[in-house]
Amino acid sequence: MWSYIIRRFLLTIPVIFVVSSVTFLLMHAIPGGPFSEEKALPPEIIKNLEKKYHLDDPLWKQYIDYMWGFMRFDFGPSITYKTRTVNDILAQQWPPTAILGSISFFFAILVGVVLGVISAVHANTLIDYGCMTVAVIGVSMPNIVIGPLLIWIFALNLKWLPVARWGTPAHVVLPALTLSAPYIARFARFTRAAILEVLNEEYVRTARAKGLSERLTIIRHVLRNALIPVITVAGPAFAGIITGSMVVEQIFAIPGIGKYYVTSVNNRDYPVIMTFTLIFAFCIIMMNLLVDILYAIIDPRIRYT
Amino acid sequence: MQKIISFICIGLVFFALSVGAAEKVLRWNLGTEPPTLDPALAHDTTSLLVIGQIFLGLTDYNPATGEIIGELAKSWQVSPDGLKWTFYLRDDVVWTNGRPVTAYDVEYSMKRMLNPATAATPANLLWVIKGAYAYNTGTGSAEDVGIKALSDYVVEFELDHPVGFFAALATRVVVPVPREAVEKYGDKWTEPGNIICNGPFMLAEWVHDDHLVLVKNPKYYDANSVHLDKVYCYMVIEASTALAMYEAGELDVLRDPPTAQMDRIKTDPVLSKELHSSPRLGTYFFGFNCTKPPFDNPLVRKAFAAAIDRQALVDYILKGGQKPALTFISPGVPGYVGDEGIGIPYDPEMARKYLADAGYPNGQGFPEVTLMFNTSELHRAVAEFAQQCWQKVLNVKVNLANQEWKVYLQTLQQDAPQIFRLGWMASYPDGYDYLKRNFDSRTPENYARYRNPEFDEAVDMLERITNPEERMQWFRKAETLLCQVDCALIPLYYYTMVELTKPYVIRDYYATINDVPNFKDWDLLSH
Repeated sequence: MWSYIIRRFLLTIPVIFVVSSVTFLLMHAIPGGPFSEEKALPPEIIKNLEKKYHLDDPLWKQYIDYMWGFMRFDFGPSITYKTRTVNDILAQQWPPTAILGSISFFFAILVGVVLGVISAVHANTLIDYGCMTVAVIGVSMPNIVIGPLLIWIFALNLKWLPVARWGTPAHVVLPALTLSAPYIARFARFTRAAILEVLNEEYVRTARAKGLSERLTIIRHVLRNALIPVITVAGPAFAGIITGSMVVEQIFAIPGIGKYYVTSVNNRDYPVIMTFTLIFAFCIIMMNLLVDILYAIIDPRIRYT
Repeated sequence: MQKIISFICIGLVFFALSVGAAEKVLRWNLGTEPPTLDPALAHDTTSLLVIGQIFLGLTDYNPATGEIIGELAKSWQVSPDGLKWTFYLRDDVVWTNGRPVTAYDVEYSMKRMLNPATAATPANLLWVIKGAYAYNTGTGSAEDVGIKALSDYVVEFELDHPVGFFAALATRVVVPVPREAVEKYGDKWTEPGNIICNGPFMLAEWVHDDHLVLVKNPKYYDANSVHLDKVYCYMVIEASTALAMYEAGELDVLRDPPTAQMDRIKTDPVLSKELHSSPRLGTYFFGFNCTKPPFDNPLVRKAFAAAIDRQALVDYILKGGQKPALTFISPGVPGYVGDEGIGIPYDPEMARKYLADAGYPNGQGFPEVTLMFNTSELHRAVAEFAQQCWQKVLNVKVNLANQEWKVYLQTLQQDAPQIFRLGWMASYPDGYDYLKRNFDSRTPENYARYRNPEFDEAVDMLERITNPEERMQWFRKAETLLCQVDCALIPLYYYTMVELTKPYVIRDYYATINDVPNFKDWDLLSH
């Protein structure tokens, strides 16, 4: 198992290089640069700016300079935000994204799995239909609709929560709900399907025949096997929450790195684009590795060589 | 015991609330994080808004009268040949660290701005100064630049050629910075704690990408006239979220409410009273690529211009009370000639006649042409309206295409489409800016590729002449050529600023350069 994990870690390095090259090339292929602004700047001024940020170096040199810096964790200056380096931006702004992302992720799993279990146990009853309807709504409404809707209900009309921004636990509620909604739905449906399948297995019937209570049957025997599809969903859900955070942070004016990522593409802020893409890629790779390890832990039949 | 503690806590809360209520705090939405607070590096409106509150310029634009007045400078004089401008500074302005603001600050800051290593973005406005262009492009030296502090409070600028509106230029670009902060902290000199200001407000707090706080500067030379104690600036990008915050009472002013909500706002009993449209110093227009057929024929351009019903555009599409434009320079900017009958007004009969004279009676044989704009709901709505006008009046088909802003700019630079949508906001208070930067044949940003030596001559005259009446004559000539005789563009409307303001905010609605509000003149009633 350990050799598998080490191998996966080492494989990350070429993947990161491929992601960085593709991102770098794409970035420079899009028309427009960091200095094409509201008002066109005279060419002499642009020349001074390009010199300052080394954008007049040949592309291969810019790439190597960046990757060399990246390996020493020096991510370069932000071209758009003149007082800040990318390191500054990351250091100041990763906490809101991390907090919001983790809360949404675990909330989605918790609520999703519980909803799925309830639906499965009461399959084909009103409770089941109700839960699944809620799930479908969650998966169909995009977060640009859910977000403002929640703001309208809870912030403007009921006045229970603040409209936007960050800083107190109350500020986390609406964005976390918005971000987790589609994934609650997915987790619920997958859990429900997995449990229904397992409920028909022989060993479940045996457990019931032995006199085990329904609750203990579910928790001790059914859930563990039903979790495998759930973990499968967890990987892409994590990726989805990262990308979803970009929209949600924009709607709720949360000073995280998701919001920054979108504006950096619009601004063609190359160092920021490169760094954030690589960091997100790394997170997703690690998450997938974690998912694979969890498989091995939960299902003893799965063994890696 | 618990009861005592709760009473003390409640008491403290009330105390804090009462102290808070005594302070006048304006809550404003900046929209985005300002890219910089360094006057040498700023050229976007967000940065300029904050800079405008914390730093003083040599001169200023008085939006109530449209005149250039002194700010750091008490007065100035120009030599008879128009080449030497001498400014006499006030002696009662100090930085927040106590040091007086002097002519040496001006000299240092301008030379810093021209230093190629600084890569300052507004530096091109200083190229009229002797030696400035050479220094800024790396071929000259700082010593040869014609800026000299003659004494503590007298600074002299020596120009390359006479520039009648140099004082107007100075409002935008001659904004000194504190040498000691720049030299000590480098790129981070604008962080709170490092920054030294001299304006009506100073920077107290800046949590990047979240908010910044300006507080009243007690050392400002006219501090007694400043009413606000604090300006709390949020950075909420999403317009609908900002509107929700305004409605929830978390914002005091909202600029540019989302267009999709305008109908609801106008019929809402509370919001409709708080809505206000005011003029801005900018013009929205369609330019023609005058080298691309069929628009290389001025008659075709005139036909297209005469077919647009601007009033209907404002009433049904824009809904912001904008003023229809027939000339390019906006009202409020010296050089505005829009009320004098210059330009091509809406006249469907004349439009059809122009097109027929050009060889396309009733649109027969007219090729398909394209109108391009940068992606936005508003621009699409305006483009579709124009498309319909041209179809209805001239019986011609115009295709629409859109691109993301930076891609669009590149397209305009390399090969502008037949008709392109663009806007121009005044960089400084003079119409020369509009004409020179957009339609002078020698300017790279002349996407219309408009070439008329008479127009260029008028532009050159406008640069050199100081006499206001003479200049107005040249403005009239230039605009007549541009908008009427040659019709290189279709001016559509002058921009307006649509704002929601809470009734307890006492404010003005003057149009200012770069839409920088003068918070020093605002006040808050208790609420």
